Amino acid sequence: MDLAIQVAIDATLITLILALVAFGLAIIYGLIGVINLGHGAMLTLGAYFTWYCTAWGVPFVPAVLIAATGVGLAGLVFEHLVIRRFYDRPFETLLLTWAFFLIVTELIKILYGTDFKSVTNPVPQAFVIGDYRIPAYRSIVAGLSLVVIGSTAFVFYRTNVGIRVRALIQDRNVAALLGLNIALTYKIVFFAGSFMAGLAGALISPLLSIDPYMGNTFLVRSFFVVLVGGMGQLLSGTLVGAFITGGAETLFALFSSQAVAQTVVFVIAILILRFRPSGIMRPK
Amino acid sequence: MNSTVESTRARSRRRFGIDTVTETGVAALFFALLAVVPLFADDYMIYILPQYMLYGVLAMSLALLWGFTGIVSFGQAALFAIGGYVMGLCMGLTLPINPGYVGIVAGAAFSGALAGIIGYFLFSAGVRSTHFVLITLALAIITQQIAVSQSWLTGGWNGMFVARMSVSPGAQGSIPGDTVFYMFILVFSAGCYFVVRHILCGRFGKILAGIRENEDRLTAFGYRIDVYKSAAFALSGVIAGLAGSLYATTSGFVTPSLAGVLFSTQVLVWVAIGGRHSLLGAFAGAMLVASLSSYVSAIIPDYWQLIVGVLFILVIIYFKKGLAGLVESVGRWLQRRKAA
Repeated sequence: MDLAIQVAIDATLITLILALVAFGLAIIYGLIGVINLGHGAMLTLGAYFTWYCTAWGVPFVPAVLIAATGVGLAGLVFEHLVIRRFYDRPFETLLLTWAFFLIVTELIKILYGTDFKSVTNPVPQAFVIGDYRIPAYRSIVAGLSLVVIGSTAFVFYRTNVGIRVRALIQDRNVAALLGLNIALTYKIVFFAGSFMAGLAGALISPLLSIDPYMGNTFLVRSFFVVLVGGMGQLLSGTLVGAFITGGAETLFALFSSQAVAQTVVFVIAILILRFRPSGIMRPK
Repeated sequence: MNSTVESTRARSRRRFGIDTVTETGVAALFFALLAVVPLFADDYMIYILPQYMLYGVLAMSLALLWGFTGIVSFGQAALFAIGGYVMGLCMGLTLPINPGYVGIVAGAAFSGALAGIIGYFLFSAGVRSTHFVLITLALAIITQQIAVSQSWLTGGWNGMFVARMSVSPGAQGSIPGDTVFYMFILVFSAGCYFVVRHILCGRFGKILAGIRENEDRLTAFGYRIDVYKSAAFALSGVIAGLAGSLYATTSGFVTPSLAGVLFSTQVLVWVAIGGRHSLLGAFAGAMLVASLSSYVSAIIPDYWQLIVGVLFILVIIYFKKGLAGLVESVGRWLQRRKAA
């Protein structure tokens, strides 16, 4: 029983953190269809910016915000230079964002070196409830994940900006004819997605050791989260996808190694993609 | 009337990549040049070039998918590494015949079968090409993880030593020197090139090109595009497995990183730069970029990968046909000058 509750707590935390990690991708890929293979690099960049700021003595919270904004701006520059010409050719975006990954990774290596960095955990304590210890920082990130995803969903479904974005997704040409500034709307979405990726990278930076390839392990997972949940399903899709990929990994890791668990989860995700190509939360 | 026919033919030629006759000529010239390299190259080049040729063969396995069928796989490195590991395991066996050849056949068969099964499993459900990329990316990660974690079979992080195979068919052949081995790999690579090219120039290749240009129309004509795509991926797996098994015995070593995402990326970059619509372009591109990378990264280790990344973006945006396209347009320009 104890074990079950502990596992449930772990699975919840991992689900929410993974949802946050995948959320930037859910915006860029799920909404405007840019197959962002640079998502992992954006996470890495967020973590590095945070490390850099805190190393200069900036407190953790402003450092996270600076990092997220920095990654958002990097994404915006990349969008303006390259991606904006390729919105009608998703396959090319896949290759171009992969090149973004190559370039960003190399720049990180040149600027900061390849050795491991670490960011000190700002809240190292644990909440103790009854017999259970819940790591405080992880639960704060998990809570933030809910807040961020919830408020973005609110913007998307309940505000003017959201209506514009939805109009763009539904029919680009008609939206343009009705006077919507297409180029600007794409930029807003791309910035939002990069910002979220940077935010996630910044927030998970105290939880792992930081190296130039840290985002890679999250890249495929994030894609599976978005695809398994269903593209364009910002709220429910991301959470369900994260639950299936993250939660399942926690469960399998219980009675096998971490590597085997990840392999099994990838296989499950591939099976889901094969039999439900549009995701679980999307009506067929 | 005559001119319409002519222009249609010219257009279809352009569509299928480089002019058929010219490419065979250029390829023959290229392989002939490689054959005389050992006459004046130093020992290191004779030792290292066969590895780059096998990179070239691996690049062809991707070009066949990307340029000729219109699907991209990020898992070519995994198929390559699987071929290598199978070769390593075979070389450890005691067989009545040369275990090297058994390893080549087994590596090619294993990778090809795996690719065929995965391909059919996915394409029969109409999995989109973008999802295919992600799944093959996952395949690379899974293969690498298995190679790392199943150390009883693969040697784990340390990798696996693979002895150099002898070229004679008997079990007790002597280990060939570098020059003999160079020629052996060259013959193999050239053979691969001409066989694949022959396949692609035939009916099968035309159907693949049709799938690339317009899947729906081919379906309407009654072709089972899932079968053709799976067959293309299986063929690509066979070639990658072949290259991998020979690579293992050439370099003497296989490691899990050979299966990984980063190596798959390398393959993608070679093919993009060499020219995805030309097998020879992919082959030469791989050899060129791999050689350059070892030279340049000795001089400016930090910046080489960055240059490669920027080059990759530029090729994708402005220069889809890569080096092969460049050679082709220079050739056309010369022809026009001659005509004028």
